[in-house]
Amino acid sequence: MPGGVLTVARRPRPRVVDPLGPIAILRGLAVTGRHFLRNLWGFVRGTPRIFTIQYPEESQRLSPAFRGMPVLVQMPDGKERCVACGLCEWACPVDCITIYPAETADEIERYPELFDIDMSRCMFCGLCEEACPEEAIVMSQRVDIATTDWRGSVWHKRDLLVPGSELGTRLAHIRRGYERAGARLASEQPVAQGQGR
Amino acid sequence: MARITVDGVLLEAPDDSMLLPTLLDRGWQIPHYCYHPKLSIDGSCRMCLVKVEGMPKLTIACNTPVRDGMVVDTRGPEVAKARQGVLELLLLNHPLDCPICDQAGECYLQDYAFEYGTREARTKEPRRKLLKRVDVGPRVVLDQERCILCRRCVRFCSEITRTRELGVFNMGDRSVVDVLPGTALANDYSVCTADICPVGALLSKDFHHALRVWFLDESESVCPGCTNGCNIKVGVARRRVYRLLPRRNDHVNDTWMCDEGRLGYGFVNDARLREPRVRRDEGLAVVSWAEALDEAARRLGRLAHGHGGAALAAIVSPHLTNEELFVLRHLIAGGLRTAEHDLAVRIGSADGFLMKAEKAANARGARDLGLAAGPAEQGLGGIRAGIEAGRIRGLFVTGTDAWEIWGADSPQIFGRLETLVVQFANAHPLVDLAHVVLPGLTFAEKEGTFTNVAGRVQRVRRALDPAQQPTDGEIFLQIGRRLGIEVPAEAFEPARIFRDIVATVPAYRGLSWETLGSLGAPTAEA
Repeated sequence: MPGGVLTVARRPRPRVVDPLGPIAILRGLAVTGRHFLRNLWGFVRGTPRIFTIQYPEESQRLSPAFRGMPVLVQMPDGKERCVACGLCEWACPVDCITIYPAETADEIERYPELFDIDMSRCMFCGLCEEACPEEAIVMSQRVDIATTDWRGSVWHKRDLLVPGSELGTRLAHIRRGYERAGARLASEQPVAQGQGR
Repeated sequence: MARITVDGVLLEAPDDSMLLPTLLDRGWQIPHYCYHPKLSIDGSCRMCLVKVEGMPKLTIACNTPVRDGMVVDTRGPEVAKARQGVLELLLLNHPLDCPICDQAGECYLQDYAFEYGTREARTKEPRRKLLKRVDVGPRVVLDQERCILCRRCVRFCSEITRTRELGVFNMGDRSVVDVLPGTALANDYSVCTADICPVGALLSKDFHHALRVWFLDESESVCPGCTNGCNIKVGVARRRVYRLLPRRNDHVNDTWMCDEGRLGYGFVNDARLREPRVRRDEGLAVVSWAEALDEAARRLGRLAHGHGGAALAAIVSPHLTNEELFVLRHLIAGGLRTAEHDLAVRIGSADGFLMKAEKAANARGARDLGLAAGPAEQGLGGIRAGIEAGRIRGLFVTGTDAWEIWGADSPQIFGRLETLVVQFANAHPLVDLAHVVLPGLTFAEKEGTFTNVAGRVQRVRRALDPAQQPTDGEIFLQIGRRLGIEVPAEAFEPARIFRDIVATVPAYRGLSWETLGSLGAPTAEA
């Protein structure tokens, strides 16, 4: 049951001097030493096996479920997918998104003239991505948002646009989520009809 | 009276009144598109189906007269299923435009689809393609794909404005709404068609793609455009007014308002005066409020005392609230002791419907308080003659209407004055001639009352926060206090001053601030 409380039986506190204490210390040292020697051996042979990553020169391979900073999906023609519907702006719990819509002559007549995200307020919750009806804002794997000037923490549309081709794994991840949700809804009974709000 | 039973509740209604309005007035939530309380019955949307005992099948509530002994069911499973079927047909060709549609958020199709709709569309055929973004008029845009053919707009143009620009063309599933060939939806009330459109087919160009409606804070107020005093809602977001919408008041404007009033809110947002200014040798200098008020009181007081008041006049703005005018009256009578004061009312076009000639919300209120010297048509003649004769040397001006009334002569007339203290909300040529500039507020930033042409006293409410700026009433109080007159209140509190008005102005006797409500109340002379 999610959110249930598990009662744990506390262990009695150990005696002040544990006769097995020194043995435990030696076992711990053995573990550390084994890794040290293995890394040393790997270093000598040219195949290091350490887990540390030399950030920022190197970066980690992240799961598609990872939520980094939200970005805007750019279509092959260079324009944004976003139609400035304002649902992410509404969904955002910290009000870090600001959109000013405008009209274009394109077939889809509406676009965001201004799309700002205040990254110093964003908490990477992903509700904007969930609210978006156009798959236009997605959580990327980027987290490098540090700046030396607070003004730099507001990202504008041109900074937020990322080609859709680079966001394939995340988009596939979202769609898997939709499919799961759709299958669950289809298996449920329809909601009660005509219940006044 | 007919006694009917609806969902087990016993009701009384006048004979032959229709079932739908009877139930809507009593708080029933019955979905409907084509029915509108101020238009004729069309019966085209079929959404308000109810079950009446004894009738062979479900019937539309909007076109069913009430009969004694009628037993009605509005929410049973049979009714819900029928409405779901009607809605499925209405949605058959409706585009999935919600993310780019301005109506989203206040759309009846969205609301009822949420309540009655199915999750999946059962049609395999593509939705029909029609014209989008049709430029039907200077202020309205039409999207034929979104239209559900309720014909509210068509009936509005034939019954209310009687201009008949709109019609339904073709038949059956090829029907579309459009303007008649060679015409445009350009009547003075054209944006009302966008208000009554239950979906996003007709939209106001002014609000088109401007903002999602759920970001608006709406406050009840009164249109400042003319003395008709149409009831409105002021929609505010991001510290700006985004739109004005009419609000139903059967005593004043039913559910309509003119395009001129609706689109005339720009002055609230743009070119505002925010800082008080005082003329120095090098020109106008921005000063603190205390300094500006001191300077205004010093300049006006010198003329008031030095020449027995004969050298000073005041021009009263009909855009001020009754409460502000009441304080201004005290200031004029006790402190400025002006030789003359008059009301500056701009005269514009009028029609027999809502638009009135006097283009100010509170001209009637100012007259009720005795602030007009003569009828508006005289165009401030007395003050003009006084200035041109050199008798009037100082002028306290609220509002900018005097400048428009005197037209091309204005620079020359105002230029003669040795003291000109002005108080209004927007940048204006008068600022360049003034010695003291006191920024005023607009109707959207005030609490107060306006009295419309028919003598109905109606509340305006603060929709926008004026931040640090004092209200016009507070400015009058401050000047009065500096001139040593007894002012009616310590601080400007509209509710308290309204009580003073009720106590001293005979026509307003019996009114109270608390009972004005959202629809106002008539004065004794109304």
